[in-house]
Amino acid sequence: MQATVLTATVVGVRAVPVEVQADVSSGLPGFTVVGLGDTAVHEARDRVRSAIRSSGFEFPNARVTVNLAPAPLRKHGTGFDLPLALALLKATGQVDRGAWEDHSVVGELGLDGTLRQVRGLLSYAVDAKERGLSLLAAAEGAQAAGHVEGLRYAGLRTLRDVRGGQAASHSAPGCEAEKETGPDLCEVAGHAQAKRALEVAAAGGHNLLLMGPPGCGKTMLARRLCGILPPLSADERLETAVVHSVAGLDETSALAGSRPFRAPHHTCSVAGLVGGGSPPRPGEVSLAHNGVLFLDELAEFAPSALQALRQPMEDGHLTLVRADGHVRYPARFSLVGAMNPCPCGYLGDPVRSCTCSLGAVARYRGRVGGPLMDRIDMCVTVARPEAAGLVVATTEERSCHVMARVLSARERAMSRPTHPAGLSGSALLAACDMDAIARRWLESVAHARVLSGRAVTRMLRVSRTLADLDGSPTVGVDHLSEAASYRLEAG
Amino acid sequence: MERCELGRDDPLYPRQLLSTPWPPERLYVIGDPSMLRPGLGVVGARRATPYGLRCATRFAGWAASAGVPVVSGGAHGCDLQAHIAALEASGPTVAVLGCGADVDYPASSAGVLRQLRSRCAVVSELPWGTRPIRHAFVLRNRIIAGLSYALLVVEAGLPSGTFTTANYAADAGRPVLAVPGCITSPGSRGPNRLISDGATPVTDVADLADALRGAGLRPSEAAEADGEASSAVRDRVLGALLAEPSRPDDLARDLDMDLVFVLRRVGELEAKGEVRRYPDGRYGP
Repeated sequence: MQATVLTATVVGVRAVPVEVQADVSSGLPGFTVVGLGDTAVHEARDRVRSAIRSSGFEFPNARVTVNLAPAPLRKHGTGFDLPLALALLKATGQVDRGAWEDHSVVGELGLDGTLRQVRGLLSYAVDAKERGLSLLAAAEGAQAAGHVEGLRYAGLRTLRDVRGGQAASHSAPGCEAEKETGPDLCEVAGHAQAKRALEVAAAGGHNLLLMGPPGCGKTMLARRLCGILPPLSADERLETAVVHSVAGLDETSALAGSRPFRAPHHTCSVAGLVGGGSPPRPGEVSLAHNGVLFLDELAEFAPSALQALRQPMEDGHLTLVRADGHVRYPARFSLVGAMNPCPCGYLGDPVRSCTCSLGAVARYRGRVGGPLMDRIDMCVTVARPEAAGLVVATTEERSCHVMARVLSARERAMSRPTHPAGLSGSALLAACDMDAIARRWLESVAHARVLSGRAVTRMLRVSRTLADLDGSPTVGVDHLSEAASYRLEAG
Repeated sequence: MERCELGRDDPLYPRQLLSTPWPPERLYVIGDPSMLRPGLGVVGARRATPYGLRCATRFAGWAASAGVPVVSGGAHGCDLQAHIAALEASGPTVAVLGCGADVDYPASSAGVLRQLRSRCAVVSELPWGTRPIRHAFVLRNRIIAGLSYALLVVEAGLPSGTFTTANYAADAGRPVLAVPGCITSPGSRGPNRLISDGATPVTDVADLADALRGAGLRPSEAAEADGEASSAVRDRVLGALLAEPSRPDDLARDLDMDLVFVLRRVGELEAKGEVRRYPDGRYGP
């Protein structure tokens, strides 16, 4: 007696279709699972046996063979518990052969037959929708899956419920999670220049480096960047939530529209930062997709980890190549770095003197590496605020007001024929539409400072954003000179 | 590159060193020994501000072009800048090292030291090949002071090794000159203190020329006049930055101007080369 159940397995952030084929035949009683499953898949046999028995079904006293097709694809995770059990029940006739036919089935079983949600539920949901199937999974995932438009979802609590065969339905997206309002910019006193830089970075999606002595407020400023970025669009929500779901993190805040803010510790490994491991898991750059990746103490990160950032920063995605194939993760993020000017942190401080040797300063800065520095558009030094300025209550601008300006600048940028992220070469020059004076000004600066081609492009991109913030269709000397003031000291 | 060893009784041994309290027994010289005639010592902090580097360039360059050897220590910062300015003016200059005269230390100065050895002179009282030793650098300061008829302190914090050179100069009866600086700048505390203790302030090359003549040197008249005479500054932002280096935030607050306007103005001034960005984010000359 044979039966098949449709399911999927997660590769990268996508679910790939898999068919579970069960065969119950006479012979020596046993239960084998073939088809390149990992340990969790093989352990499913014991969970399934117990779950079937405790749900009032009978486990066949026969030879049971289950094949996971396509056989060459490696399969991971506990999501195969429910499809295995269902295939078995169908093969033994305990559940109607035609039941759950147009469903993709996924779920982990407890020994008592209760159904648990699995990692990457949103990937399974997207895949089911693309295949024109409904999704049969744990009831608790219904709200998250509701964000996948047009998906029909059947939520079960225990294995017992498969007998019922109730129809899958459209579930409403669980919108009750309010968009988190992060810390507000108005809580930061002073730092006008750094705030302006945050606004520009938010408007143009530029990478930003904050440099300053310890305790001057770099981290505080960086945490407020998310608050001035526009909320995620519907597509972006799903893209970001899928990555979080695959990584086993809570995806509700991304689904509610909050941009992710990831701040990995500087001991983070290469695999932790860009993804990796076996099976491959998304790294911090992918978890920060459509949001902010904040690297505090940039110079303390392992150089290999920092250099691995170069490809995702350039391409907006990341491809991990492994012996059994390659995996692609999305990674479009704004990088905000923070570092001290030197190992002791007080280089150039007007009051405290720096105790580092010149060689130590050069080594410290060199750790970040030229190629990465080259990809950072703006660098702002943050000064230690004077104590007097901290205790005086001032009225600072609220994040929502800044966000309004950021939104209108972004709209202006999007109204141009070329997408702002793809601006380069002649398209960038056309978008900037500089007059002769501005052009001459740029040429003289580029010549005097010996700017590289990439440095000029970077400066022009920032200038274009500044003009957008001003509501100006053309880039003028004003915008260029402000952009020049954000350049890196080395650039 | 000619090497020679000069004992105290050698005719090439610089006479002016013999009048100091503790002249070295032997001098190891690479280059042209005639450079060891009385000169102007130019010393300053290794970790100099752009202001200090500019002053070192300006005064050392002028002295060298007037034929007065610029004596300094070859260290990073003001010293190196003084040597470079003298080399660029094709004038005489001497580096006094705290290691063997044939040893490249600090490594970042190697290129300049190589030029000094072939075109000017590098001196040490330590035998060939001696590795750098900490205390030797303090002792070589007395040779810098001794070779010079006047010592110019460009920029130095408090406390600073530059002061030992000034003390050696005072002990040898050489006049000490100092470039005054902003009272809020830590790098100018040293020269400002020296001036209040009686050093001669040097604010332009006319001051320096007078001081050199007073010390018994004869700078040639042909040297180029100072090109940096400051004209009246109409721009408020530039005026404020020349008076005191500051951050754009503080400038906008103090001048009661819009921050974005100040940022743009500063960017423009920087592009023109009128101000520079300091490592802590302040802008200044």
